[in-house]
Amino acid sequence: MTSTGSLSAAASDDLQPQAPYAQPQGAYDEAFDFARAVRPHWQLVMDNIARLGDDAMQDRYRRAQRILRDDGATYNLNNDPLSPTVWSLDIVPNVIEQAEWQIVERGLAQRATLFDLIYQDLYGEQRLLKEGIIPSEIIFSHPGFLRQCHGLKLPGTHQLIFHAVDMVRGQDGHFIAIGDRTQAPSGTGYALENRTVVSRVVPGMFRNANVLRLSSFFHTVRQTLANLVAHKTDSPRIVVLTPGAYSSTYFEHAYLANYLGFPLVQGGDLTVRNGKVWMKSLNGLTQVDVILRRMDDSYCDQSELRADSRLGVPGLLEVARNGNVVLANPLGSGVLEAPALLAFLPQISQFLLNEPLMLPSVRTWWCGNPDEKNYVLANLEQLIIKPAYRSYNSRSVYGHSLDEQTRREIIEQIEQNPHSYVAQSYIPGAIAPIWNAHNIEPRPSIFRGFTVADKEGYCVMPGGLTRVAESTAEAIVTSLSGAMSKDTWVVSDQPDNSSLPVLDAQPRDRAEASNLPSRVIENLFWFGRYAERAELSLRLMRTIFKQLNGIEPFPPESRDVLLSAMSQLTGCLPGFTEDPELLENPNDELAALVIDGERVGSIKYNLQSMLACGEQVKEMLSADTRIILNELRDHILAVDEAYRDGLPAVPEESLDSLVTSLLALSGLTHESMLRGMDWMFQEIGRRTERALQTATLLKATLTSHLPSLQQQQILESVLLSVEALISFRRRYRTRARIAYGLDLLMIDASNPRSLIYQIDQLRKYLNELPRSYTQSSGLNAENRLIIKSLNDIQLADLEALALIDEDTETRVNLEQLMTQISDQLDQFTSLLSDKYFDHTAGPQQLIKAQWKADI
Amino acid sequence: MRYRVRHLTEYQYSSAVTLCYNMTHLLPRNTPKQQCLSQRILVTPTPIYQSAGEDYFGNETFYFSIQEPHKKLAIEVECFFEIEEEDLPNQLQLHDMTCGDLRRLLAQPWTPELRMVKEFMLDSTHIQCSKLLRDYAAETFADEVPVLQAALDFTHKIFTEFTFDATATDVTTPAETVLKERRGVCQDFAHFAIACIRSVGLPARYVSGYLETLPPPGQEKLVGADASHAWFAIYVPELGWVEFDPTNDLMPNGQHIVTAWGRDYADVSPLQGVIFDGGETHSLSVSVDVQRI
Repeated sequence: MTSTGSLSAAASDDLQPQAPYAQPQGAYDEAFDFARAVRPHWQLVMDNIARLGDDAMQDRYRRAQRILRDDGATYNLNNDPLSPTVWSLDIVPNVIEQAEWQIVERGLAQRATLFDLIYQDLYGEQRLLKEGIIPSEIIFSHPGFLRQCHGLKLPGTHQLIFHAVDMVRGQDGHFIAIGDRTQAPSGTGYALENRTVVSRVVPGMFRNANVLRLSSFFHTVRQTLANLVAHKTDSPRIVVLTPGAYSSTYFEHAYLANYLGFPLVQGGDLTVRNGKVWMKSLNGLTQVDVILRRMDDSYCDQSELRADSRLGVPGLLEVARNGNVVLANPLGSGVLEAPALLAFLPQISQFLLNEPLMLPSVRTWWCGNPDEKNYVLANLEQLIIKPAYRSYNSRSVYGHSLDEQTRREIIEQIEQNPHSYVAQSYIPGAIAPIWNAHNIEPRPSIFRGFTVADKEGYCVMPGGLTRVAESTAEAIVTSLSGAMSKDTWVVSDQPDNSSLPVLDAQPRDRAEASNLPSRVIENLFWFGRYAERAELSLRLMRTIFKQLNGIEPFPPESRDVLLSAMSQLTGCLPGFTEDPELLENPNDELAALVIDGERVGSIKYNLQSMLACGEQVKEMLSADTRIILNELRDHILAVDEAYRDGLPAVPEESLDSLVTSLLALSGLTHESMLRGMDWMFQEIGRRTERALQTATLLKATLTSHLPSLQQQQILESVLLSVEALISFRRRYRTRARIAYGLDLLMIDASNPRSLIYQIDQLRKYLNELPRSYTQSSGLNAENRLIIKSLNDIQLADLEALALIDEDTETRVNLEQLMTQISDQLDQFTSLLSDKYFDHTAGPQQLIKAQWKADI
Repeated sequence: MRYRVRHLTEYQYSSAVTLCYNMTHLLPRNTPKQQCLSQRILVTPTPIYQSAGEDYFGNETFYFSIQEPHKKLAIEVECFFEIEEEDLPNQLQLHDMTCGDLRRLLAQPWTPELRMVKEFMLDSTHIQCSKLLRDYAAETFADEVPVLQAALDFTHKIFTEFTFDATATDVTTPAETVLKERRGVCQDFAHFAIACIRSVGLPARYVSGYLETLPPPGQEKLVGADASHAWFAIYVPELGWVEFDPTNDLMPNGQHIVTAWGRDYADVSPLQGVIFDGGETHSLSVSVDVQRI
């Protein structure tokens, strides 16, 4: 149906630009008219592409990819933390001229108004059903019609706050709605990210195109959400509720939360108490007024909706019912997504608005009507068959693609349950040009427009999300996942000079800004711990590789100590500690400790855990941090590659870049992060872990009695692994006494890797943490543990620690002290976690089956 | 006739429940022939939040949450009723619309009432229509048979062909299994009847409530011997919803107290919700006392 033209052909003749591909059959072409000339509003874009030329366009394309990855713009369908699916974006925008857009805009606003009224009617008077405007079984059999939400009422005139419509252009260029999203419409964040990226990679094109800005839309979002509780408070607490990091659109939730300046919370971060909703945070419970909901209806409340949900907030619906919290969109709005509604919209519009429907919907036949069913069965080949209601697993069936047997099955299903099926005619969608590896190619497209309620009516985003099929052959743009997206430019004759108040006009006090959900704090704490754990294991691993492959001979006694220290440090026990065989042939075990991600404690495991914690608090990470984490992902993949066939020839080589990335990460934390509670807990995590690991390392390496050469090798190895060997030699020349080593590794407060340094830092941080009001005078338990550990170290007699006990042939004093410090630190972390992290186990259902009428 | 209903529900948990959120359908509703004179509900420990309301079907709801740790939860309901008796034999005789006529009417619903009644003809949480059930009920609900007569016959059919057995089923047992086993409790019989009636294309709904157990002559009525009960209702134009009790083979009249109605048990379950903590095992005891006063 199409052919691909090269760019040079298009660029060669400026006066008579030729379309780079042939007229698509049966479809509208966004960019070229019937004479194959560039449509005027596309001229600037096409000229720019031609002027940039192949190389520059490729370069821009790669830049866009890099920015998207660094922004963490993912559309995750797998849970692999190492290679998330990066959001797919074409750098050529889709361009719509303003005059045409205004028609779409009015249509969208009217449609949102209409759906708002439908929601109010279905959950209120039900006149649409009583008068037979909508056949009642469409609603009554819809699992998204939540009778529990009957009578639910948001303050203000609108019930439906957000509405999105998927549209295609028919052959004549008119927009036709093919589906509505009303539950928790996604895409606004991706649209914003697309705009940000495209305007950065083709700034020249963007600057001159008079593109209408998107910011006004988000400003309205913020205003509208705040206005929902304006009758109660001037400083509403608004949160974004996400199903969590495994949700496919999690990036968008985090992105929007940050852009709008609202905390991002998961179900477990909220709790219902005293008939209100609260966020569990470091400072205790904070009341929540408005919830921007990105979770599907039925998952929101285990006590009244799906009892098996693991995401919701038990009791939430009742709080919404009593008006103490506002959910946008309101619960129960999923029913409005029913494809069957489209068949009745013109009548509904007349009935509720007394107006004709401005934006037409695709022709839809509801099989519950016998005549329409007969039509559908007779014309199956031309139609798309859909379940009458939309759900997660609802699949559309394309009539022309059916083999004889499936065809018979479908007909049988429709005959069995006619009211559960609708059919729609198929509209291919307008052809839009994309940049695909050196060429402009045609792709069928679909467009999602967004509306948000405002004071008067509905405000339409000037733009939206265009998606195109991945390949030319694919005639149908299916879901968000399989498609590539495009920025959508609504272009005007004049520059958009609208000046908006700064988005964050409302004052936010500092205390509130630093008031983070406990889950965020906990994840940052563990982010710090895993980072440190990975780094110290990496350092020892490098040292082992250097020593084993070094020029100087490394006697078995020394080797055994280092290897078993590796097992102890990673916690992968027994490992080298009990197996003489393994000590003789350590390569496989060492390789596994590096790259076996399934093994708890391995280097890869710790790095993956760190990345997973990072993903959970995506919205808290700076752009630079995300860049480093992406580099780290690449390095992990490189190590995987290097270790694929076991230990490589120079095994430490590929580890260096991991250490460097981890150092960059901790450097960034130090140099660019505000000293808020997020920083504090990440630091506490790091210091605690480093202290614990150092104690373990000293115990594992320096307590056994060895001949002097071996003793010296071990001490030097330890010093090498913590980057203290040079300082040690400078200070003590070649006198490698254990006591000197302990001086540097334990009690030297100027060494940022010494034990005392970590614990002293912890002491300082503890004083900064929020205290509970009920606290009794004197030190609290965690403070006591830290001060005790500090004293234990300061009061230690180094010569006595270095002394070898004659009975056991070990340095008993050192061993005891290190064990004691480790125990105290373990206690410290569990106290900290009890106090600041959330430990609520999930709810359980009152067992229904037991409740039984028994006459 | 006047009644006093006392309904005590007690949960015992193996360890303390720290938080709970519950929606209940324990307070009886008013109906055209049943008038509530007074009612009270008492939850121990005292809820931190409670709220009474009305659900989608017009039933009374009572929502509560408790934040203090408790190993025992008690919900005590007491209400007084006035119930009118009706001339049922007369109704049966006068209302002679046949099943065929009603089906034709429902196929082209032309009044708001007929359109809204569709809600009770479709599948719901515990009700799945099927060919098997349709085959079982088709003859009873044949086109030429008056609807109410058919429902009465069907009630009798269930009563004679099924065995009351408190151990055979639970609330999730599907109607087809009940048909196969031919045993169950009032709830199963009600669900089974509803599933059959919907399978033959007629509207039926679930009714939950209480039943006065008549004491044998000369004996004192046993307190707490009665329990919550369930039956079904079928829709006919003009009369509206007419009730039938397949467990006792009769049409409720004066001795059945309605708590709530809905599409099936799931719409009116007495107590639903979630608890936090509370250990592995819970024990539940329910006692109901329905006294004529």
